[in-house]
Amino acid sequence: MGGFSELIKNFDKTRDYIRDFFIYGFKVRNDFDRKSLRTYDDEKRRIESWFGDYVKYDRSERGQKVSINVDSGSISENPLYQAYRSKSFTDNDIKLHFFIIDVLYNGETLTLKEIIEETDKNYNQIFDVQTIRNKLKEYVQEGIVITEKKGKTAYFRLSTDRVNECLHNYEGLTDAVKFFSETQEFGIVGNSILESARLKNDLFVMKHNYIVHTLEDIIIPEIISAIEQKKYISLISFKVNKANNFGYIVPMKIFSSLQTGRRYIVGYIPTINCFHSFRLDFIRTIKTGNICEKYDIIYEKFSQDLNYCFGVSFSSGKIETTVITFCIDEKHEKFVIDRLKREKGNGVLEKTDDNLFRLTVKACDSFAVMQWVKSFTGRIVSVTGDNKQAIKRFYSDINKMYNMYGGGEK
Amino acid sequence: MNIFHEMYSTYFRISSEVLKLPNITEKNIHQIIDKYGFRDSVLFLPQKLIPQNDGSDWGLLKRNSDGKLVSVIKNKPVEILTEIQKRWLKSKLDDPKIKLFLENDTLVSLKKHLENVKPFYSREHFRYTDQFNDGDNFSDELYQKNFRKILMAVKSQEILEITFFSGNGKKISGKYIPLKIQYSAKNDRFRLFCFSLKDGEIFHSGVINIGRIEQVCNTSEHHEKNISTNEYFQKRKCREPVTVCISDERNATERFFMEFAPYEKSTLSDSDNGKCVVKIWYDYQEETELLIRLLSFGPVIEILSPPEFRRQAKKRITRQYDLLNKNRRQ
Repeated sequence: MGGFSELIKNFDKTRDYIRDFFIYGFKVRNDFDRKSLRTYDDEKRRIESWFGDYVKYDRSERGQKVSINVDSGSISENPLYQAYRSKSFTDNDIKLHFFIIDVLYNGETLTLKEIIEETDKNYNQIFDVQTIRNKLKEYVQEGIVITEKKGKTAYFRLSTDRVNECLHNYEGLTDAVKFFSETQEFGIVGNSILESARLKNDLFVMKHNYIVHTLEDIIIPEIISAIEQKKYISLISFKVNKANNFGYIVPMKIFSSLQTGRRYIVGYIPTINCFHSFRLDFIRTIKTGNICEKYDIIYEKFSQDLNYCFGVSFSSGKIETTVITFCIDEKHEKFVIDRLKREKGNGVLEKTDDNLFRLTVKACDSFAVMQWVKSFTGRIVSVTGDNKQAIKRFYSDINKMYNMYGGGEK
Repeated sequence: MNIFHEMYSTYFRISSEVLKLPNITEKNIHQIIDKYGFRDSVLFLPQKLIPQNDGSDWGLLKRNSDGKLVSVIKNKPVEILTEIQKRWLKSKLDDPKIKLFLENDTLVSLKKHLENVKPFYSREHFRYTDQFNDGDNFSDELYQKNFRKILMAVKSQEILEITFFSGNGKKISGKYIPLKIQYSAKNDRFRLFCFSLKDGEIFHSGVINIGRIEQVCNTSEHHEKNISTNEYFQKRKCREPVTVCISDERNATERFFMEFAPYEKSTLSDSDNGKCVVKIWYDYQEETELLIRLLSFGPVIEILSPPEFRRQAKKRITRQYDLLNKNRRQ
């Protein structure tokens, strides 16, 4: 086994690998350029061990391709949650976990000294005082143990919030946890509640389910904390040479695209005085800085700019207008009109003639608008607007596609 | 406070399960590792749980004089609701969808229980950039009532009599076996996956938008056949996958694999010219959605097969080409 372990100490490296295996099902062993091939073999074995049947092997001229292959619309549990269940630990960590809970089981309130004595007496194991003190401190932070001071002495007792009792006492809560455990915004936490209660989601499935997002949940709490405290953050990229060049940014919001599958942190870059979106899957860690004194002013400007944000793009202040005319059979294609209404964002939709509709969109990035407009291929009569380059590309794309599919041929 | 903590780990869970056993044997330990562990856990865990002569185990079990394994702890391990879990629950109480699950008085009571807990996040921290603006009305009483009836029936697989409006506005009534409830964050809607019944026999694998349901009635009936959700998904799967060729321009490969991550796929070839050929399996009733998503990539994706799917793409593109040229001439 040569030093291989299923468990990992740091989530960062594994995050990067899982993403590659999951997203790029076409990479072969030699494409992985990080560290040695031995590292690749270890990561691959770990991924095989965690994800079992979801790992798929395809042969190609360049070698074997390993991927994590999931139809995420039909699964009850995000398989990538397994990665969160693989944290390495010391022998003392696991011993003290069970010993401390056991010593405090009957509701006793004990001092550190008493806990040490009980541990020694009950389990015949001697621990360093500092080791137990640190573990108690950690478990107080995690909410397992409650501490209170009487005079100068700290007393410890076990939290009375038991997972099973909580789920049992509030009717419907189990079903709610089953549902939310598979949604965005830290579904992994809900899954950990189900795991503790030995339950599984057997009721819900998710559409447009980007299971890979869970890997980013590891960095989001720090971003949220910085937003709440109105602090600067620095983003450390996975690619050493492409480290964030903007220095500290002021974080505004997490953006999630349900179309492209990408999530971003949108922040204000003081050095160039604009808002920018940064891919969360490219960010390894976050470093929190000082308080931003102008946070509220910046956030107000951000809220105004949001009105012109189509997708995730922000520009340096220039708002572009794009006007698209659609030809839609009102009698038989009402569903297309409904689709335009629900997806148009801030766009203004007007009926200009029988079966003709004009949509006017004011946005920071016309390319983002045009990407969406192309999903109405077959119904677009004309496109005009400020960004000539984006419009030119649209017309050119349609010509290319026409030729690609044998335009004019029957 | 971190969700990537060993107390949520597979190894801790396995240890907890072993310590709860009334009779601990090596065979039981292996069975629990097989059931809850990772694929290779059986290579690493038994020797940490079972006492070793050199003391390299975790010391959670000991051998009695008769050789039997017993737990060193006095009580069965308990699972505590941790701070991060409480904070997460508190955040969910602000989600409008929570009212589909909890009655008002339960919600009030749970809020009171968590009153001193700081939410893990606020909904204000997130923005879904392309969520549709006509999602379900989760606060509607009829919607909540229907949702709960359906949820109960999904658990028991009780046959329901449902009256609803189709996408075309046609009123439909029938008997259905509920299987799963699907949620789409993009649509912000719930839908029911079910089998429809005709003369008591499974007739069709269907999907009903819960927001379009007028009435749900219990029947107290159950289908005699053992119903499989896998069978449902198999029935809805396309007969032939769509094959596409992706060029390497405009970062298309990366964009494609990100956007189509939820689909089951197989990469066929990746030649040196940077082009990549991929097969995509999909729900045949959502063929149009797949088609328009592929077309939105423009010329960096070419649909190769099946011929009928390619023909549909060609039809839309030809129509588009003609529309633009006709307008130019005018």
